[in-house]
Amino acid sequence: MRKWGVWILVAAMLLAVPAFAGPALKGKVAVVLDVGGRGDLSFNDMGFKGTDQAAKDFGLQMTEVQSATAADYLPNIRNLARTKQYDLIICVGFLLGDALAQAAQEFPDQKFAIIDSVVDAPNVMSIVFRENEMSALVGALGGMLAAYHGYPYVGVVLGIEIPVLYHFEAGYRFGIAWGLEKYKAHEGLEALPNVGLLYVYTGTFDDIAKGKAATEAQLAQGAVAVYNVAGPLGIGDLEAITEWHNARGTKHGPPYYFGVDANQDYLGKGVHALASGMKRVDVGCYDAVKAVVEGTFQGGVVSLGLAEGGVSISGLQDLIDFIEFGIAGGALKRSEVYETVANWATNRAAIPYWIWEAVDELEKGILNGTIQVPTANTRDEMLAIRAQYPLTR
Amino acid sequence: MSADAMESRLQASTVARRALAGLNPVLESLLAGVLGLLVGALLMKIWGYDPWKAYHALFVGAYGDSYGLASSLARGTPLILTALTFSICVRAGMFNIGAEGQVYLGAMAAVTVGYFSLPPGLHLIVGLLFAIIAGAIWSLGPAILKITRGVHEVISTIMFNWISHFLCYYLVANVLVDPIRGEKTISVPRSARFPILMRGTDLSYSLFAAVAFALVIYFILWHTVTGYEVRAAGLSPTAARYGGISSKRTMLLGFILGGMGAGLAGACIVMGLPPTYAEFSGLPQISNLGFDGMAVAMVGRTHPIGILVAAVFFGGLTAGGRTMQITAGVPLEMVRVVEGVIVTAMAIPELVRLFRFVWRRSSSLFAFRRAR
Repeated sequence: MRKWGVWILVAAMLLAVPAFAGPALKGKVAVVLDVGGRGDLSFNDMGFKGTDQAAKDFGLQMTEVQSATAADYLPNIRNLARTKQYDLIICVGFLLGDALAQAAQEFPDQKFAIIDSVVDAPNVMSIVFRENEMSALVGALGGMLAAYHGYPYVGVVLGIEIPVLYHFEAGYRFGIAWGLEKYKAHEGLEALPNVGLLYVYTGTFDDIAKGKAATEAQLAQGAVAVYNVAGPLGIGDLEAITEWHNARGTKHGPPYYFGVDANQDYLGKGVHALASGMKRVDVGCYDAVKAVVEGTFQGGVVSLGLAEGGVSISGLQDLIDFIEFGIAGGALKRSEVYETVANWATNRAAIPYWIWEAVDELEKGILNGTIQVPTANTRDEMLAIRAQYPLTR
Repeated sequence: MSADAMESRLQASTVARRALAGLNPVLESLLAGVLGLLVGALLMKIWGYDPWKAYHALFVGAYGDSYGLASSLARGTPLILTALTFSICVRAGMFNIGAEGQVYLGAMAAVTVGYFSLPPGLHLIVGLLFAIIAGAIWSLGPAILKITRGVHEVISTIMFNWISHFLCYYLVANVLVDPIRGEKTISVPRSARFPILMRGTDLSYSLFAAVAFALVIYFILWHTVTGYEVRAAGLSPTAARYGGISSKRTMLLGFILGGMGAGLAGACIVMGLPPTYAEFSGLPQISNLGFDGMAVAMVGRTHPIGILVAAVFFGGLTAGGRTMQITAGVPLEMVRVVEGVIVTAMAIPELVRLFRFVWRRSSSLFAFRRAR
């Protein structure tokens, strides 16, 4: 009886082999997160969301691994790779770069992907974003708003001074300068509006109080909006802006909050969050899984910008999509959805339509290549861009 | 109460105490561990995870093969040292919570070897000395406050931990910062790193440094006159003083030896843990090593040899906890709850003993005052 079973099994296996001749899938993907972990409503949650969606769409099983400390990065990646069961292991965040560089060498047959960091190995797909492009759109909006409302400054609060954040700053500077030129041309002014940039690197991605303090300082100097380029610090930024409005009894209008990574326009029921520079980590993760499923995966750098849908400035559809994301994350109640959309629309409608059209114009220019947004990867390149667009008053 | 009743109660309590004392400490720990595992299993069952699968993943991940064992030992290495910091001071009659801050400064001091070059081996030794000295210096603050002003070490060490915390945030971001990568300090050069003991794992020769330190502490405490004095002053300061032992000296010694161990723990991380050999902003590699060490000390009965065993157990919990996420699908939050339950259960016997000891000592003091 038992022998029969064995023979049937062997026969079945022989028959089954040709069927798997294509890209043989093991049917499993994994995401490794850094110590930031889930629940940030931004970077990490988006990495999870994109991979989860891809796993559902392609019928794969997904494993999520969080790291308790930085000492877990390398062991977590090794543990997954050692099982030899995963079609793809995605590392979400530049902090995992060193660990992956080591693991990719140790497991040359394992496919990896990493977000925000470049690991030079044939089995690693390094997914980076052209954050300068959508930051230019946000900057253009900020520059024109400052001129329109008669504010002296546009603000940005950044995290730790790393190359990824230079992309944001470079694009933001270019965008503000572009917006001021546009404003001058549209209004037929003789000189550029006298608007400057306030920027500060807080040196942290988790100290929310520092984001609040930095924002308060910028508001006091007359910033029309503050762009959050430090993930969770945005919670502190928005708190400072909300308190600023409450102290003056204003409900809408400037100063505004600009969100980052995810669409954060729904935060605080959309009262002060006007727009977000979206960096679709979820799209990056989804595409990586898709490439593996379709057999097109290859190592090297994949750069996602406006053209690939990797970055964008938030619109109405994004607000609706991410409201679900916010509800799932516990940042918004379902009963507050309509109020949030109404607040957001009130804020946007109070701004002249030509400003929104100008932002669209910049986007089209970047897409068709007539406008080149500068970027920076090193400190020297960043200093050169700061010299080119000083934005001081 | 009649004399008879009093007598029978006394007898009963003596019998109970004899029964407890007769219980082998190892057996006691094992019982506590089983209890912890059961409570952890119950919690996982309630939240819908398979406890059997989870524990299987835990044990296989921790001790199932040489890779697992190496991962467990690698994680246990710094914990041996921070557990010793706490234990030495317990033996000297103090609650030193300061290992945490001393680890930070030890790690920072070890990183500074990246600014100069020396031959391999010598470079490593210099780095270790830097770390040991930094840890010892940081322990002097609470020690001096305790000896000269009678400031309780629990308060002062907690405060010194916070000073160290923010000082090291500053050092990472502004002083020791890598000029190309602002999120981390400069890396310890190859010539000053502990070589990897087993390829493809985190385990480095730093394990031997930790074990050697534990053996040295064991020798000092149980085989030298100074060690005898430290333990005697810890058991009964008044009796020790009567015997001519300076409790100030033993307290200072306890703090300094402890600080050396904690500093060495910081060095074991930045000089012995792949792949970066540096510390990042936010101190994500060395945070909580000091506090975890206190739990290791409890499970190891504040004895150097017990601590070696307990550290292997703790390292196993971490290493196995990682595989629990992967093979049993238990999320990190639940893994940590279960780990916490097991650790708490295993620390209870020693905690009870410590508190009973402190209580008895203070109540005898009260009795002494009343009698006067």
